[in-house]
Amino acid sequence: MTDSELIRAVNEVFVDSFEIPPEKITPEAQIFADLGLDSLDVVDLVAAIQKRFAVQVRDDERVRSIRSMQDLYNYLILIRSEQKLG
Amino acid sequence: MMGRGVGKRSIGSWIRFVWLNAWFWTVAPLVSVTFISLAAIYVGVFLVLLRNRRKTQWLIRRSMGVYGRLMIICAWPLVRVKYVDYAPQETPPFLFICNHRSSSDAYLTAYVGCECIQVLNIWPAHVPLMGQLARLAGFLRVREMPFEEFVAAGSRLLQQGCSIIAFPEGTRSGSVALGSFHGSSFRLAQLNRVKIVPFVISGNENIPRRGSAWLNPGTVAVSKLPAVTPEMYEGMTPYKLKTLVRDMIARHLDGQTGQSHVE
Repeated sequence: MTDSELIRAVNEVFVDSFEIPPEKITPEAQIFADLGLDSLDVVDLVAAIQKRFAVQVRDDERVRSIRSMQDLYNYLILIRSEQKLG
Repeated sequence: MMGRGVGKRSIGSWIRFVWLNAWFWTVAPLVSVTFISLAAIYVGVFLVLLRNRRKTQWLIRRSMGVYGRLMIICAWPLVRVKYVDYAPQETPPFLFICNHRSSSDAYLTAYVGCECIQVLNIWPAHVPLMGQLARLAGFLRVREMPFEEFVAAGSRLLQQGCSIIAFPEGTRSGSVALGSFHGSSFRLAQLNRVKIVPFVISGNENIPRRGSAWLNPGTVAVSKLPAVTPEMYEGMTPYKLKTLVRDMIARHLDGQTGQSHVE
């Protein structure tokens, strides 16, 4: 999966799981402030991402620092490269 | 700090402002002490005689509604409330979803007119006496309990027929802005399949303004909108549901003010 494919797949998770209009999902969008997710939605988001990308991120401390969609893309790209190395 | 942020006043406006606050802050404490003392005795006698926790809680909840109405009356006629119920035929229990601009919202919810409790943030639950009454009445302290405990307690209340009033913005906006909504109350409604009623309050952002105790004269509009029924939200994600209800409130506010509250 290329970076752009990964980004598209992440955006699809937001559209499918939360019915967020695709035009609102931009790299700059803040997950809490702009997209309106709350702490419970984030639990659902983590579950959806784990299912979509077959990764375990629930206990990863780095998840806590994610604020924007770009942060999330970067994090998942990093996770993917770590898995490749592993 | 009097009248902070409300701009320049005319002399007439100053007179009304001083009159309102002198009157309210003289009468409201007297009414509060008298009402709460009498209500405490009444509830105490009721509890001793009946030894029925459920009926006692019902009495406390209704008494708190009466107290809210009394506080609104104390500010009359310089603060007027226009209440419109757009669906009076609907029957409780409901989950009321309120926008939150001012501390007076807690009193204005007395207009719901049925047995109800409020979902509290941290600080209101620790206000002396009122916090204790709120705990006795079974108010939910959402920030001080795990989500599972919140759902269990909320479900018990709804099954008893008690409605729940939630402020999903979490804190007072202190302005005309409508903040983003937290979804915990919506999840509770979905789990219990209860009707969700948007309860819109506007015009009280300066009655009192956030961070101030001073009331400004004005008219407050309180609207109980038609319910979103379980059939309407069937299959929706909690996120979609909270967005739907937020948009309903925002559109109603738009209609009142002519400015957009929809993101």
